[in-house]
Amino acid sequence: MNAVRRANYPLIGLWIALVVCALIWLAPFAFMVLTSLKSTADIGRSSIWALPEVWRWDNYTAAAERGELWTVAGNSAYIALIKVPLGLMISAAAAFAIARLRFKRQRILLIVITLGAMVPVQVAIAPMFTTLSSMGLLNSTNGIILPYLAFGIPSQVFFLYGFFRSLPRELDEAARIDGSGNWRLFVRVILPLAKPALAALFILDFVATWNEYGMALVLLQDQDVRTVPLALQAFQSQFASNYGQLNAFIIMSILPVLIVYLMFQRFFTQGALAGAIKG
Amino acid sequence: MSTAPTTSRPTHPSHRPRTPRRGLPILGALPFLAPALALYGIFLLFPIVSAIYLSFVRWNGFPTVPQIWAGLANYQDIFTNDTVFHTALRNSVLWVVLSLVVPTVLALLLALALNHRLLGRNLLRSAFYIPAVLASIAVATMWTWIYNPNSGLVNSTLTSLGLSSWIQDWLGDPQIALYSVFVAFVWQTTGFSMVLFLAGLQTVPADLVEAAKLDGASAWQTFRNVTLPALRPTFTVVLVLTVISSLKVFDLIVGMTNGGPAQSSQVLALWSYSQSFINHNFGGGNALAVVLLVITLALVLPYLMWTLKEDER
Repeated sequence: MNAVRRANYPLIGLWIALVVCALIWLAPFAFMVLTSLKSTADIGRSSIWALPEVWRWDNYTAAAERGELWTVAGNSAYIALIKVPLGLMISAAAAFAIARLRFKRQRILLIVITLGAMVPVQVAIAPMFTTLSSMGLLNSTNGIILPYLAFGIPSQVFFLYGFFRSLPRELDEAARIDGSGNWRLFVRVILPLAKPALAALFILDFVATWNEYGMALVLLQDQDVRTVPLALQAFQSQFASNYGQLNAFIIMSILPVLIVYLMFQRFFTQGALAGAIKG
Repeated sequence: MSTAPTTSRPTHPSHRPRTPRRGLPILGALPFLAPALALYGIFLLFPIVSAIYLSFVRWNGFPTVPQIWAGLANYQDIFTNDTVFHTALRNSVLWVVLSLVVPTVLALLLALALNHRLLGRNLLRSAFYIPAVLASIAVATMWTWIYNPNSGLVNSTLTSLGLSSWIQDWLGDPQIALYSVFVAFVWQTTGFSMVLFLAGLQTVPADLVEAAKLDGASAWQTFRNVTLPALRPTFTVVLVLTVISSLKVFDLIVGMTNGGPAQSSQVLALWSYSQSFINHNFGGGNALAVVLLVITLALVLPYLMWTLKEDER
């Protein structure tokens, strides 16, 4: 769809420059896909952009088996499918209270909660390890959900607070006049209006949970409870010289996230603005 | 985000509507707050407070071993004897400064370019944004392969361009390892800042840009006097988020160099983790964690206060 009829040379130049940049940006992906389909001997011999001499699709099956892909993907999926909806409900309830109900020290509470979003995990990881260990929750997929929930709360509350604040006050008043209490107001009025916000957060949080590495590294050390990022790191340290399989494993580990991104692109752009642009 | 239609119901002019509730208002709010506050308190706030306490004891992290009060010894230790700490601190600060410049400028240029009506604009935007959705550890693994001295993308490309003399051991040379990792970071994070700038550019008043053009302002003058001032809030957000993500860098370095070679690419988050869990020096690790916490708060607290103040109005 070109709005300009006459040739606009600066714009054409700009477009060519952008396409070249985008190709450079995507080159790592192309390089990875090509590598994942070659044998190690082929990689050593041929030029990097040459097509595989023999298409080694078996790199994928071998890597999946070696890296125990199905086990770790199962763990990651289990954690994400419990953590994400639960975390959203908890954050939404808290954000609703701070944004729509009146009580003292609301502002301080919001500041304290939001600060949590800014602290690197490594600041808290050593005591967290001892805490979970004393609760008997180390090396457990259920155990890691608790700190995951805690660390997800700040940014979600901040974002939803902004969203709830933007809804007109008259809604609450109307509901209250109709005799609604806090719960009914929250469930019947506010949550339905927040559907787009919640959907965006759901997708973003799913990706963030799937990708999390820093906490999992410390809290999930047993082979059988490991998540995808841990398995990827282990694969790299164990089979680093098997480039074909390593790249096949990377591709398989990022595939779910890429699919989610391609299906729900607009949520990512909206989510990027989470709490960023005050509307 | 869609905004709800305002209800046509008139507000009562006689008195401000009060929430019809008996007793303390906090009691009505508490059920909504309790789960979040409990989780946040136990698994985020409490560990941070514990880290501060643990930074004053000598301990190896084993529950059966007693913790010995050490006062400021751990801090004295890191500031005087710990040469790795000095490298890590310098690298962390350097990383923040570099991030504020390189990906930010790149993101702004891309956003300005992709704000034009161009063929396949959304596809181009996606190309730059996609790395931002990947796990950092996957990015690290990808780039370790890209930097492979023999068969990697970088050195092979240099060879085929006839630039063999430029070939480096990108991750194995203490002089350049940190910068090699930083390039991967730029590749990963630029797209995210670009999206923020693109959103910010939507707030630039089009009629002002038109007016400036009619008055014969050059493209640079228009950018300088119309676009840039309108982008100020976006800039603040991008810079703050960049600082936060710079201080959180951990996965990328673990996956690519693990702080090496010879500790040349250490950063505070990784060094703190290593002291606690690799060297079993919980006191030292937590003292480093406190230093990281103080730096983080010093950089972002003013912004947070400012945001919430603005929100008041």
